Amino acid sequence: MNPASKAYKRQKMLKAMYPYFLIAPALAFVMLILAYPVVSGFIGSLYTYDMFTLESEFAGLNNYLRLFTNPRFQNSLLRSVILAGGTIGLGLFLSLSFALCLNSIRIFKAFFRGVSLVPWLVSGIAAAVMFRFLFSGNGGLIYVLYESLGFQAVSWLGHSGRAMLVLILTNTWFLCPFAILVMFAGLQTIDPNYYDAAAIDGCYGLRTLWHVTVPLIKPMIGISLIWLSFASFSIFDIVLPTTGGGPGRATEVMAVAMYRVAFHALDYATGYAIMTVILVINIAMSFVYLKLFRV
Amino acid sequence: MWNTAKARQQKPFKSIRRNSMKRMMYIISKNWVWIPTIILTIMFITPILWSLSASFKSMVEIYSARTLWDFLPKNPSLRAYGEVLAWKDFPVVFFNSTFLAISSTLVAVAASILAGYAFARYAFRWRHVLLLAILIPRILPRVSLIIPLYELMVSLGLMDSRLWLTITYSATAIPLASWVLAGFFAAIPNDLDEAATIEGASLWQILWYILIPVSWPGIVTALIMCIRESWNEFPFVLAFTTSVSARTLPYQLFLLRESVGVQDWSVVNAFTILSILPMLMVFVILQRYIVKGVTLGAIK
Repeated sequence: MNPASKAYKRQKMLKAMYPYFLIAPALAFVMLILAYPVVSGFIGSLYTYDMFTLESEFAGLNNYLRLFTNPRFQNSLLRSVILAGGTIGLGLFLSLSFALCLNSIRIFKAFFRGVSLVPWLVSGIAAAVMFRFLFSGNGGLIYVLYESLGFQAVSWLGHSGRAMLVLILTNTWFLCPFAILVMFAGLQTIDPNYYDAAAIDGCYGLRTLWHVTVPLIKPMIGISLIWLSFASFSIFDIVLPTTGGGPGRATEVMAVAMYRVAFHALDYATGYAIMTVILVINIAMSFVYLKLFRV
Repeated sequence: MWNTAKARQQKPFKSIRRNSMKRMMYIISKNWVWIPTIILTIMFITPILWSLSASFKSMVEIYSARTLWDFLPKNPSLRAYGEVLAWKDFPVVFFNSTFLAISSTLVAVAASILAGYAFARYAFRWRHVLLLAILIPRILPRVSLIIPLYELMVSLGLMDSRLWLTITYSATAIPLASWVLAGFFAAIPNDLDEAATIEGASLWQILWYILIPVSWPGIVTALIMCIRESWNEFPFVLAFTTSVSARTLPYQLFLLRESVGVQDWSVVNAFTILSILPMLMVFVILQRYIVKGVTLGAIK
């Protein structure tokens, strides 16, 4: 083909457009279903709606002011922080321990790694239902354990503090596998020479863990932290079937409050505002972790 | 981990072998790691095992459990499973879950193969911006999207439909799938594409006959991650469906727990087990792809 001809030029133009064509479908999905709702939700949080006339009015940051002075939202923010804090602490400890174990054992490695991943395959609802049964007064394992050890059985899901504890345990069980896998992958990349060097310098046991292992897998710990806090701050699947936000509002975390406010009370403006708060908290926390751990 | 290669080769001293007490201590000191491993393993599988055993028990037996020995069902029966399977809506709900897992995965992986190929092979203007535009939405928690997406659904007239669920499930799966696939494609030598181009292959032929067969492990990884996400999804199906016609297994499980007055825990547990079984089976068959995929998705 003649390089100067129009047809050649058109073909060349078309070739240069290929990557854009290839990206277009994926981009269209992401923009329409993921980006558009965030933008429209944020804009929606700046307006107030009249339920009867369906008119909206620009309200600036008034919705947020109302939100932060609303005791129900303050309560849900506090519950979210407790749930996330408990999950992050317990989850980090358990997943680091499990990852260290997986890295140390020499036989049945694949089996135990498989076991550590099982909760990842289970839906949040199934996890919540199983834990609810585990802690239920009608044949739950914990109840049976209490009875067989001679203790007075207590109600777990009917007590506000213990219901939160059950949620933290469920959530940790549900979210740990990913953190374990990430930290395990990090542990496997550590050069064993570091441990030899540490042993020569007289460093053993927990001190090796603290001074050698942890600094070396710092980025993986950061990723696990991001994952744990992200998932716990927006947790929804686990809470609804386990406690349904109860007893009272003792476990009504932000996502549940948002769902109820929007779909039960039909107060979309407040729902949008809570949605924005959840997003901002998530993004801010990941920035903090990225800075701290230099992921 | 603390036993280095050298330490492992060392044999116990003779004196230790003679003294059984010291030998015991030696064995424990070398294998203590099994203690936390076993404890953690028990913690991880107990909820599922307890649920599994209850699904074989009768209601009376569940309620009368008093000691740990009641863990094993005395007269195991499949009554609960029979009841779940005989229930008229179960096939509908199971079909919906399967349909959504397959349709949304196919759409998401197809779109991600194209996008992943573009990001792995082409240098073009706005490449980084577009890459971020596709990847960053991954950090959005899906529950935060339900209100605006609900309004969008109403304005599009797609209430209570599998189509809307397919679209939303695909969209939430695309960021991760694109990322995983772009990584796999980038690892394949460019020479393959070039050789095919010289032979006169078109872009589609390169993708279909070369790239997809060669990067099969990566595509399986992406497929599994999408299937798992769709199979276990809850917030969207809760917010976007009202009738049984588009309901999936997790939502039905949630309703099952809510609706029954005196809870027939054997039926609830049988339903739970049936709803997680397909994923567990996929996992047992394809474990190594899953491990690879999760790790790849996490470490950028």
